[in-house]
Amino acid sequence: MRYFLLTITVLCFSFSGLQAQTKLPAMDKSPMDMSYYPNRYPILKIQDQITEPLVARVIYSRPQKNGRVIFGELLEYGKVWRLGANEATEIEFFRDVKINDVKVKKGRYTLYGIPNENVWTIIINKETDTWGSFRYEEKNDLLRMDIPVQKQAEITEEFVMDFEKTETGAGLIIAWDTVKLNLPIVF
Amino acid sequence: MPIKKGLLIVVSLLSAGVFQSCEQHANKVTVKPDNQRIPVSVNDSMLLSIDRSPMDMSYFPEDYPKQKMMTPDLPNPVARVTYSRPQKNGRIIFADTSVTQNVIQHYGQEWRLGANEATEIEFFKPVSISGKKIAPGRYILYCIPYPDKWKIIFNTNLYSWGLHVDKTKDLAEIELPVIKNNVEIEFFTMFFQNATYGCDLVMAWGDMKAVMPVNFN
Repeated sequence: MRYFLLTITVLCFSFSGLQAQTKLPAMDKSPMDMSYYPNRYPILKIQDQITEPLVARVIYSRPQKNGRVIFGELLEYGKVWRLGANEATEIEFFRDVKINDVKVKKGRYTLYGIPNENVWTIIINKETDTWGSFRYEEKNDLLRMDIPVQKQAEITEEFVMDFEKTETGAGLIIAWDTVKLNLPIVF
Repeated sequence: MPIKKGLLIVVSLLSAGVFQSCEQHANKVTVKPDNQRIPVSVNDSMLLSIDRSPMDMSYFPEDYPKQKMMTPDLPNPVARVTYSRPQKNGRIIFADTSVTQNVIQHYGQEWRLGANEATEIEFFKPVSISGKKIAPGRYILYCIPYPDKWKIIFNTNLYSWGLHVDKTKDLAEIELPVIKNNVEIEFFTMFFQNATYGCDLVMAWGDMKAVMPVNFN
């Protein structure tokens, strides 16, 4: 019986492997996107209009609200969330910056969030190139920062991240449904 | 024996089906047509709705992030491509300059091998392409299509938008024959697949496909 089950398992895996090889990647339901600081850096670059050096880039996927209540229902409060969909969300710094008074060296990191009603925890983690938050490990955290939720009257249908200029550097805006956050990046 | 074998196949097919439908269930967000989407408001400007040609990413080894999720201490990936996926939408993908209507791109002109931001490829270890060594790091890729071949060019003008190519930053180029697909591919697609010498970067759109061999050494 044990061998029988083993054979089935092996067959299942080889079958899905075969499928994966012959099937082209489908269009994602939650498409990927990227944002830069300075904003629109790639366009400014080809127009020769760059006035500030490249600081940061975020690559994330964009789930849609689709009539659902997102925070506290679809996504449970207090649980680590991948801040997007599919591949884990990647933030890259092209120079050293500071977040929550912690030095963040130039390089790639994974971003996670722990949603709560009034205050979220944003996590910068050193494990990159992974999927979702399924293998999230606290021991690989570089830093955490609590960010107050700014409730919005207007609904954001598609999860979005973008940078905005601030007096001390830039803010990473994170918005979905009626929630908006601003993670301060100092440089 | 044949009965047992048959049973095994049926059970495997069923289980594979269950795996697949679980995967589909987990992603069952439906995309609304453009005109029904509410634009996002950030900084009081109407910004950043989902791109018409959404971005995507492929790794080698294939599905690396999913493998990493399941396998602790997986060695680093070898390559990653980040590109955007335009849709054919009933148009002619490539044609000569005599065709001016409903055509996406003319032969012999630079094409960003995707849409929006320039297509980016990153190697996490040294590789060679068409006999030329490529150091670990990031590059952008663009293409000059011809009826029978695609010229794929590595360029170092990173973090740029794909509509303008700075040819002074070309690094290496390779000519690849155009292979006819037997299926029509609506969305431009790039992915890596295993090869005896390393991997292939497959680029496919419409009824065309080009395959770039990447040697690990």
